[in-house]
Amino acid sequence: MPTRRDEARTSRRRAGDNGFRGTIMQGTTPRRLQGMADPLLASMVRAMGLGESPQFAARSPQVMAYVNRWLENGKHRDGAVNPSPVFPDGVAADDPVALARLIKATATELGADLVGICRLRPAMIDLGVDLPHDFVVATVVHEAYDVVIEGYAAVEEEAMRVYAEVSDIATRLAAFVRHLGYPALAHHNGGSCVQAIPVFHHAGFGELGKHGSLITEQYAAGFRPSFVTTTMPLAEDQPRSFGVQEFCLHCTICMKNCPGDAIPNEYVLTDGVKRWLTDLEKCYPYSRLRKEYCHLCVDVCPFNARPYAETYKAFMKQQRQLGYGTPKS
Amino acid sequence: MTQFYVTEVRPHGERSTVGLFYTREEAAAIVRQLESLPGKHGCRYVISTTLPTPAEGER
Ligand code: SF4
Ligand code: SF4
Repeated sequence: MPTRRDEARTSRRRAGDNGFRGTIMQGTTPRRLQGMADPLLASMVRAMGLGESPQFAARSPQVMAYVNRWLENGKHRDGAVNPSPVFPDGVAADDPVALARLIKATATELGADLVGICRLRPAMIDLGVDLPHDFVVATVVHEAYDVVIEGYAAVEEEAMRVYAEVSDIATRLAAFVRHLGYPALAHHNGGSCVQAIPVFHHAGFGELGKHGSLITEQYAAGFRPSFVTTTMPLAEDQPRSFGVQEFCLHCTICMKNCPGDAIPNEYVLTDGVKRWLTDLEKCYPYSRLRKEYCHLCVDVCPFNARPYAETYKAFMKQQRQLGYGTPKS
Repeated sequence: MTQFYVTEVRPHGERSTVGLFYTREEAAAIVRQLESLPGKHGCRYVISTTLPTPAEGER
């Protein structure tokens, strides 16, 4: 975990030092801070004369229980590495293919719907953080699409439920890796220095969509992730395209349904990947500055039609009747 | 609110957008942090208030 001495000396944070024996990787991707630590959100909340985002203040006891679960998991992200590990039959301590198979099977057993692995790269780590690990395991749990489209309260509760669940998975998976003798650090809402999008891309989950979330074939963008970084040598998955970025060039459904007109049609390139940068100043009034949660850009995406054909069709019919948009209040 | 885009220009001329920020100070602080990294030696950074649309050959 980061040490004060490190921070004082270099103003950089160091994560995952327990049992360190990997190469140090310096992160290069700025993280947008969450909650009131986000300077844009904080200034917008202050401009409303408030001290806290109305959405955060309105959280139900059930949602708070989920938040507390990942905060609790945040205390157990790292731990001691087992000095005398015993490996299951047929798995050698230095066999990346067998180890990757074991890690994926374990993550699935813990409840992950998708598991992917790739080599850690500087762009996958927060700017200002040094991480002495070589590989990252990404795990995903999907949200129930028929629940999230029920409305704002339902989507928030479902999102938080899944965030809590993936934090459990990462915590247990990191402990399992350490039990096998390799340093490992869990990353989730209770503490993370991993950048999700580049990891998803390299772990072969899918492609970035115009709405700013990664789209998978299995669950579109209706999922929440967690990660484990480690020095354990693991066989890598490969990036996989199934036409999302090309499709988004000609699709405007998320743009038209966004109540804040926050999704641009123009893109920028980051490491050759198209990114449509959501204008948060326009998004926050709907997604943060009212009591209700907003998830609409993800819900209306036609990639939902692959896994959830009938539900998607019915939902979009309802959206059309509403005039392609949500109440702007 | 003015928007500030940070673009990384790599030694061979390749351009990669770092992100979108809402104050010049925030964008400048990110640039300073990136410039301090040994792995980014040779890169330069541009802060612009217009969207850095990819050039024809980059799309
Ligand atoms: S979360 Fe809502 S307001 Fe924000 S970009 Fe998506 S649809 Fe628009
Ligand atoms: S709604 Fe259309 S443009 Fe938006 S992310 Fe989905 S496919 Fe891309």
